[in-house]
Amino acid sequence: MARFAGGKAPFVRASEEKDYGTKVIMRDVMIALLPVILFSWYKNGIQVYIDGNIGLLEMFYPLFFILIGGFLSVLMEGIFYFVTDKENRTIKSVMQKLSLSFPAIPGLILALLLPLYTPIWVLIFAAFIATIIGKMIFGGFGHNVFNPALLGYAVVGFTLMGVINNAGGLFNASEAVVDAYAGATPLGKLASSGQINYDTLVAPYGSLWDFFIGTIPGALGETSALAILFGGLYLVIRKVIKWYTPVIYVGTIFVLSWIIGAVTGDAGLWFPAYSILSGGVMFAAVFMITEPVTTPTNVLGKVFFALFLGVFTVLFRFVGSLPEGVGTSLIFMNIFTLPIDKFTAVIRTKRFKKPGGLYLGILTGLLVILAVYTLVKAGAMYTVYIPFLGWVI
Amino acid sequence: MIFQKAKGIHIEGRKEACKKIPIKDYLSPKYVYIPLLQRATNLKAEVSVGDEVKIGQLVATNEQQMNIRVHASISGKVTGIKKAWHSSGKMVDSIEIENDFKNQLIETIKKEENVDSLTREQLIKKMELAGITGLGGAGFPTHIKYKTKAKIDAVIINAIECEPYLTCDFHFITKYPEKLLKGATYFMRAADAKKVVVAYKTYNNQIREALQPFLSKYPHVELHPIKNIYPAGWEKYIVEQVTKKTYNGLPAEAGVIVNNSATAITFCDAVEMNIPLIARPVSINGEGILHPSSFYVPIGTKVSELVELCGGYVKDLDPLKYNYIAGGPMTGRAIFIDDLIVNDTLGAVIVKKASEGVYPECLGCGKCADVCPVYLTPTEIKKAFERKDVKLLGDLNANKCVECGLCSYICPSHIEITEAVAKGKDLLRKGAK
Repeated sequence: MARFAGGKAPFVRASEEKDYGTKVIMRDVMIALLPVILFSWYKNGIQVYIDGNIGLLEMFYPLFFILIGGFLSVLMEGIFYFVTDKENRTIKSVMQKLSLSFPAIPGLILALLLPLYTPIWVLIFAAFIATIIGKMIFGGFGHNVFNPALLGYAVVGFTLMGVINNAGGLFNASEAVVDAYAGATPLGKLASSGQINYDTLVAPYGSLWDFFIGTIPGALGETSALAILFGGLYLVIRKVIKWYTPVIYVGTIFVLSWIIGAVTGDAGLWFPAYSILSGGVMFAAVFMITEPVTTPTNVLGKVFFALFLGVFTVLFRFVGSLPEGVGTSLIFMNIFTLPIDKFTAVIRTKRFKKPGGLYLGILTGLLVILAVYTLVKAGAMYTVYIPFLGWVI
Repeated sequence: MIFQKAKGIHIEGRKEACKKIPIKDYLSPKYVYIPLLQRATNLKAEVSVGDEVKIGQLVATNEQQMNIRVHASISGKVTGIKKAWHSSGKMVDSIEIENDFKNQLIETIKKEENVDSLTREQLIKKMELAGITGLGGAGFPTHIKYKTKAKIDAVIINAIECEPYLTCDFHFITKYPEKLLKGATYFMRAADAKKVVVAYKTYNNQIREALQPFLSKYPHVELHPIKNIYPAGWEKYIVEQVTKKTYNGLPAEAGVIVNNSATAITFCDAVEMNIPLIARPVSINGEGILHPSSFYVPIGTKVSELVELCGGYVKDLDPLKYNYIAGGPMTGRAIFIDDLIVNDTLGAVIVKKASEGVYPECLGCGKCADVCPVYLTPTEIKKAFERKDVKLLGDLNANKCVECGLCSYICPSHIEITEAVAKGKDLLRKGAK
């Protein structure tokens, strides 16, 4: 007779097989970031070098900046583990913990969210906020409430944007000399001019095709919809993300922007297309609102999350202080991930029976009210087409 | 997409090693241990130490609950009531019978002359007296199913065996194809139904090949192939696939009764020869077994003897790194000591590598909710269980969990989520009382 090991059913696990598991999922996310990183390097480094505006060494700076972002967050997480784990303070233990918490991803995404000429000390500060405050204080991988990279970006964006702009901001050497840009991103123009006008918003940057390819000014990773779509396609094929989360999010923004454009007198499809191709909507849609830890778990929750997020993004574009609206709305919606998860799980099982129907009603009602409010608010900012609603707001 | 039911997933079968070798009879062990426990019901021994028993003699009963009857599986002398490891994971009092190798049958075991004239009531009575229980794993007394008042259109024979490693039903059917069809026909008559549907996996095409030659004699039988996915062998899944109808409580609501294929073969013997449930097929499989194979053995046989017939464990097996699983690998139970006995629900013993390694935390990917065949949200049930929120557990339908194990199977972070949901289900049951 022999004593055998214990365990719980099932004794067959997909995670014990090769090429499946959380590590593989996180590796796939890094692979999906690759086209974005490479395009960013091309646009801000190689192309500028070809233009003759920077030297050979400086050509590698964008790549260096992104990689240093990833390195910084690995380093900080390692130091955090080393400092906090008093009993087992060895390099081996730290390395093992790092292998289970995927530290490079927040740093890489953070660097992709920041402008090219962010001073390195600002990057270090942002990485500290992202990894230590955004992730480790909450309990590490799997427990963070806010998207760590986004938290780092938001804190820096609210406090140190002036410093970044003084250092050169998001215009690379080739873009800084273009007069038509007038030192503003497409969304910056929308915020400052308040006009939905093709000649002001799109024409200075070329055409919508340039928006799609990504040769417009913007933060490192956010400009190229094409590169992001490549990454997104890979993630969908690898079943890391669900295709409909980004589609619903982008679709909501598209539809709302179309209506806003139409209300203000321009029903062309260029405005909704411009809305989804600027301000990092695409980057957030593929890499941030699908981030599993900080967004709802079940299918229905993901759908509601994407819908709410789309409405909030449009709303914050017109009322918030950061011109993108994407970051603000995502940070805001991260807070509601847990309740959305709980309510949608009940809706999944109870359907329209009590209390599922009630929860479904509340969520849909809130969504409709917000969407109407956004449309009215945005419309009222730009025109006087619906003046009778002015006193309501 | 949003309100759609999960369709199950493909899991690698790992049955080939065991399927190649035909099933062997191992009918005369030196000792058998008849457990005084069936389906969480304690039984009363009807024999005492020193008695001589014959094959088929009644040795234990529980008349209060569903009239459970257990019979001696070998002839010989009752030598004691001893504790033995049972597939429920506990040590259970068992009647030890020492074989006299005379194979004396009890008088009631004889050929039934007027098989074709048996009425529905007589068939159900035979089922009850023979102590037939579901051999698929749940072990529900079969006669209770047939005492339904609902109108039954069809009897479904579950020949699917969807869990990996299991081959005993496959072997049993391909060895006794005609007995299966006969038993199924008696089931059909016991339910006053019009037809029999044999549901099998497309993967196991040999079952179709084995049954095909006899189908002309049994025109009321139809074969129904089912996709090679898990949990295709789940009663509700089969009923939905075959009848396109669903139900809440029992399959009888959809006008069908589902029985395991091994049960049908056993019932055929019970009707024609009056042999009670005294033996069943068992597969011994897994990477830890030298030559995996299946056996037809008397109930109460020690599994260690079967393992020896398989050539024992693989060389240099470190038991502490292996699991000894009673039942299928998806729903079975880890047994700590390899001193298990065969009882009516034990279809397999699997010795395979235990899981090791460290895994990350839950990342919230939602794959567990995507694969759940009853459309639950395991992560939320786990959270509600940890907070002991009984009301929320009720809202999340934790009681509907069938413990198929898919959520733990699919989890990329190797979390014991099935266990957590099962605990939530228990808490809800206790809390609701």
